Amino acid sequence: MNNGAQDKRCEIWAIGGGKGGTGKSFVTSGIGTHLVSKGKRVVMIDADLGGANLHTFLGVSKPRNSLTDFFEKKVPLNNIIVNCSIPDMGLVSGTLSSLDSENIKYVQKLKLFRQIKEIDTDYILIDLGAGSHNNTIDTFLLADKMIVVTTAEITALENMYHFVKNVFFRKLKITLGAHGLKDMIQDVWKNRDVHGIKHLKDVVDHLMGTSTHIRDILEKELSSFRIYIVLNQIRSGRETMIGVSVKSVCLKFLGFNAMYAGHIEYDETVLRCINKRLPFMLTHPFSHVAKEIGKLTENLRDGRQASVMTDKYAHRRL
Amino acid sequence: MPTEDCKKYFEALELSPDAPLSEVRSSYLHLKALYSNDSVVTSAIAYELSEEKRHDIVEQVEEAYTKLIDFFENKDTDPAGSEKPSFVVSEELKQYISGIKSFSGGLLREIREKLGVNLKDMASFTKIRKQYFEDIEREKFSSLPAEVYLRGYVIEYAKYLSLDSIKVANDYIERYRNLGCDK
Repeated sequence: MNNGAQDKRCEIWAIGGGKGGTGKSFVTSGIGTHLVSKGKRVVMIDADLGGANLHTFLGVSKPRNSLTDFFEKKVPLNNIIVNCSIPDMGLVSGTLSSLDSENIKYVQKLKLFRQIKEIDTDYILIDLGAGSHNNTIDTFLLADKMIVVTTAEITALENMYHFVKNVFFRKLKITLGAHGLKDMIQDVWKNRDVHGIKHLKDVVDHLMGTSTHIRDILEKELSSFRIYIVLNQIRSGRETMIGVSVKSVCLKFLGFNAMYAGHIEYDETVLRCINKRLPFMLTHPFSHVAKEIGKLTENLRDGRQASVMTDKYAHRRL
Repeated sequence: MPTEDCKKYFEALELSPDAPLSEVRSSYLHLKALYSNDSVVTSAIAYELSEEKRHDIVEQVEEAYTKLIDFFENKDTDPAGSEKPSFVVSEELKQYISGIKSFSGGLLREIREKLGVNLKDMASFTKIRKQYFEDIEREKFSSLPAEVYLRGYVIEYAKYLSLDSIKVANDYIERYRNLGCDK
């Protein structure tokens, strides 16, 4: 507040990606630690309500409070932020005792979103669970920066595409819904054979063609829609090109902008640290992995594409 | 080419309209390989990404690349001052050049002189210091920069003389490696 109006609101980053085990929580904790090392205040929110374990990555064995307190005991979100082993970093744990995570009421969800936005900090990082449930997608859409983590495996890529497609579809639905055109996109999708629509990009093109009014709405909203791609656990320089390729597929077939933020190479040490509950970024600050996380965090912050040197990289083994 | 078209071609290659030729090339190569072949990236979304759609994309990419190459060639010859002089290569010289097994500094100099090109013009056109070209011709390896840069300079040199730049660079770098770069 006292620093003028510009930085009044914190920036929200959400990390998702569809498939479990691709390293979302590790990447989230790494990004958070890097931001803290740059003098920022960070609050981490574990929104993987079915299988929360972000605390483990941050050296917390049993968080004192969690979102259970928020949902069941109506404790304000601000009061359930716990400290972790890293100074200037707060954690909202997602460990739930009894709640059925998929049945969080709409009102509760809105309340949570409102209170997330009100947290007094510089960055809020939201670690999402696997899957493409609506709650997960809505939380993802809440963010200023939407980040997906994938590995170079086909199964991870499949789930990632499924996830981003659902995110984009929901974004279109919400955008049109806000202009009183709620059912439009579903109707178009249902009758896709009639319209000759094969993929999501065709839907956008079709909608754009229906009227200039709709075209204006979509162009305005979608120009700021951007998904950031992080490649995790890559084993060769050649694999970094996958990031650029995924970006291309998003643009040409799914109809939205994507940006390749960077990669993290595969390193056994990461797993060892996680098992010992050691925050990797602090115990191995000079490792390749830590440097790569630093680099991609800065790309994310500046909205910049990772530089890939095609020829040079292609022959290098990591 | 009208600027609107140009923008469209840059867009097809997923580049901003001010991207340099090198990026146009690498993006073209990447996109062509991506949509011509199967890879995890495309097969993970294969049920949506039909064969024919991929084929369309490859065609668009090809077209964009061809058009942009033209665009860059026209752009380069526009400024009147820094125009590369056109010179006539006699049949005799062509024969001679095609008979060369391996290009050396001395041979490059010989060809350059036969073409009547002076190093000063070459330097101002390529924006590479004349000294480097002199050292390349004399094979004064100890004063030349690291191999990656040297390769670039040799390529520019060869291009200026309309020689097969890749062959010239490969030959030259091989000599550079064999004859000592032990500085």
